[in-house]
Amino acid sequence: MTEDWLLKVDDLGVQFHSPRGTSQAVDGVSFTMKPHETLALVGETGCGKSVTARSILRLVAQPPGEYSSGSVQLRNDDGSVTDILSAPERVVRNIRGNRVSMIFQDPGKALNPALTVGRQLAEVFGEHRLGMVLEKAGLPTSRPGGTLVKIAQQRAGWLSVRLFQLFRRDAARALKKAMDDEVASALADTGIANPRKIMGSYPHELSGGMKQRVMIAQALACDPDLLVADEPTTALDVTIQARILRLIHDLQQRRGTAILYITHDLSLVKEFADRVAVMYAGRIVEMGPSDQVLKSPQHPYTQGLLAAIPRADTPRGELEAIAGTVPQLVDAPPQCHFASRCAFAAQACHGHIPQPTVVSEGRLVSCFRFSRAEELDVSAEEMPQPAEAIGGGRR
Amino acid sequence: MTSTSQADASVAVDSVVTLHDVQVHYPVKEGLLQRVSGHVRAVDGVDLTIPRGQTLGLVGESGCGKTTLGRVVAGLVAPTGGELWFGLTADQHEHVNRIRAIAPGERSAEDQALWRQLEREHRLGSMTKERHREYRRNCQVVFQDSFASLNPRQLVRDIVGRPLRVHREASGSEVDARVVELLERVGLGAQHLLRYPHQFSGGQRQRISIARALALNPEFVILDEPTSALDVSVQAQILNLLVELQQDLGLTYLFITHDLGVVQHMADDIAVMYLGQIAEYGPTDQVFFDPLHPYSRILRDSNPSLEDEEVGERWELSGTVPNPINPPRGCRLHPRCPVATDLCGWSVTDALEHVETAAPAVFEHIDAVNRSTDFLAEVAMSDDASAALMAREINSSPAGVALTQPAISNGKVVSLTLRQVDDAELLPIRELRSSACLRTQQQGVLPSS
Repeated sequence: MTEDWLLKVDDLGVQFHSPRGTSQAVDGVSFTMKPHETLALVGETGCGKSVTARSILRLVAQPPGEYSSGSVQLRNDDGSVTDILSAPERVVRNIRGNRVSMIFQDPGKALNPALTVGRQLAEVFGEHRLGMVLEKAGLPTSRPGGTLVKIAQQRAGWLSVRLFQLFRRDAARALKKAMDDEVASALADTGIANPRKIMGSYPHELSGGMKQRVMIAQALACDPDLLVADEPTTALDVTIQARILRLIHDLQQRRGTAILYITHDLSLVKEFADRVAVMYAGRIVEMGPSDQVLKSPQHPYTQGLLAAIPRADTPRGELEAIAGTVPQLVDAPPQCHFASRCAFAAQACHGHIPQPTVVSEGRLVSCFRFSRAEELDVSAEEMPQPAEAIGGGRR
Repeated sequence: MTSTSQADASVAVDSVVTLHDVQVHYPVKEGLLQRVSGHVRAVDGVDLTIPRGQTLGLVGESGCGKTTLGRVVAGLVAPTGGELWFGLTADQHEHVNRIRAIAPGERSAEDQALWRQLEREHRLGSMTKERHREYRRNCQVVFQDSFASLNPRQLVRDIVGRPLRVHREASGSEVDARVVELLERVGLGAQHLLRYPHQFSGGQRQRISIARALALNPEFVILDEPTSALDVSVQAQILNLLVELQQDLGLTYLFITHDLGVVQHMADDIAVMYLGQIAEYGPTDQVFFDPLHPYSRILRDSNPSLEDEEVGERWELSGTVPNPINPPRGCRLHPRCPVATDLCGWSVTDALEHVETAAPAVFEHIDAVNRSTDFLAEVAMSDDASAALMAREINSSPAGVALTQPAISNGKVVSLTLRQVDDAELLPIRELRSSACLRTQQQGVLPSS
């Protein structure tokens, strides 16, 4: 590949309109992902991380949502670029599941309770890998829209499926076998011991970890270039979480998928992400290589977030909590949204929106402690105390 | 010594609550006549002492029975077996243990009278009405989901003031004054008195729950995952508040959680639960740094941590949670344990379950299984060839190590003889520490892989 980026999110803005006013859920978020890279998007409830993730597949419901600014560019294999936010629905549908796919937080809700696991996975293959399945079954691939294609896509009605099974028994059997083989191998890839048995089960018959494996199998069925994992392990126990994360990691190594990993848990970032972007109130406040950000966080919010996690050596009752609560984003004033909770906040923080500043190689921080007074056109007294040179860690 | 290790280990302690062999079995009903076909053993023989003025952490994964145990202690679920004592002093504790060891028929008249008196005053279920009321006031709960546990149609003043009215602690305008006092105690104020729960954030709602729990000056608070629905920055606020309250009011906490980082920070002692039983009990730091049960070690290794510690090899749990209706024999962890050996209680069911997943084609050829015991059975297959395959599968299964002689097919029948193992119990390993791991009990240290 000539250029080394896969996804470029540029100045993304998402608004939600409600009778109470407009809230800017995502406000000028920009980041770039390289192929094979894992980027973690970390933040607390309501910081806009899930909306950002959904925007990449254009899954935010409109209305009440609205893409107010920016673009989400996906690089195609031939070097051309598709803007997902402005592309026609047909193009986006083809990208979903095929080039970019998503794992949702609650596998219990994201799987269809009325269909067997095998049938749900068959839908993915029918939609995106129709030609391959028909070829493996030794069936003609030339007639789009015919009964055969409809059946392979799992879209045919009950009657036509029955008639097809009755009059073209061999074709029906070959198709079923080819499809079942594909589904079984996709399930086996995620470490499910007996895929043929699982294929016949309904989601409610499976445990949480197993359901999440099915979701992963479904998401990776078509070898996507990018996997968006929206809190894939939040609903699971720690022992299962460790196994699922290992599985995602192994599959990534094997297939070279890039992963955008959405989580609220900073401690997961250390092991599983190359880079991390910390979000607060709709904006990315800090971004950089994950080991550096965790070792020496620069933004006051990242520092507070890390200090709030109980550690073995923290004296009991002396956790450093971030004072106050997340501000309401309905018709929020143009300022640093963290200013109301920030120990360093000065006058300048309340009148201007901080822009990402490069503080060292690959690290961006959106904080006025890294800006100079001239840039904002304010006097030096109104600026917060400048941060020390990078490298000085927390505590 | 009796078999109740943990009760023994802390005999000389004033306890808030003492559990002896507590069981909660839920019947599973089937068919038209709703015949009881089995029991879900949610809590299955738990001995636990909660010492006064300390924090006991109860950790485990979902479905291990930790919340049910918390509800038993709170008096919200009646145990189907075992004893639950409240507010025993160290002396009374010794009396209870001594008299219990004597068979009811052989007790002296004096002992009988003492036992009856102790039961009337301290045993949940046999208590007098006044004592039970006192228990209820002394033992309060903070639930996980503050959305569900606060009545959405009541004002904060009514929610927090209700315990005061129910127990006739205050009436009229006195209630409001007390409620404001309580709200200030938890970091809220008089301005919040006339609001509904939905007007608060998650952290604030949890503060209201805590204020309600503190309304009657309890000595014991059960915290059932109080922070798992909160973000870390808010969680830190709530944990700090809980510690502050404990120091000021001398509270005892039972802290139920699945988050090891939180429990490590909060608890003096922890009890690790697995499948309805306590797998390990001991001081928090010791359990973390030197676990004496494979399950504790797996939990610790699976817990993502920000610290740069080298834990060496990471242990992992394989498979899925077994059926609590028919839990594994011996040690309950053994089918999933990385260091299981023939000692650990492999049964016929384990062997057959392995065949079912590893070789479903062979499993389908089973005609009948005649079990003499859980460890001795004859498996009748539909033909000779599949019987030979069955024998091979069983010999190569994890349960194969516990076979006293290799399984051989004799015609259509495969006979299995596995090593008979008693069910694991929580036994003291060393000072303050107990573990239910059969191998640890034998060696005195956690077996290495």
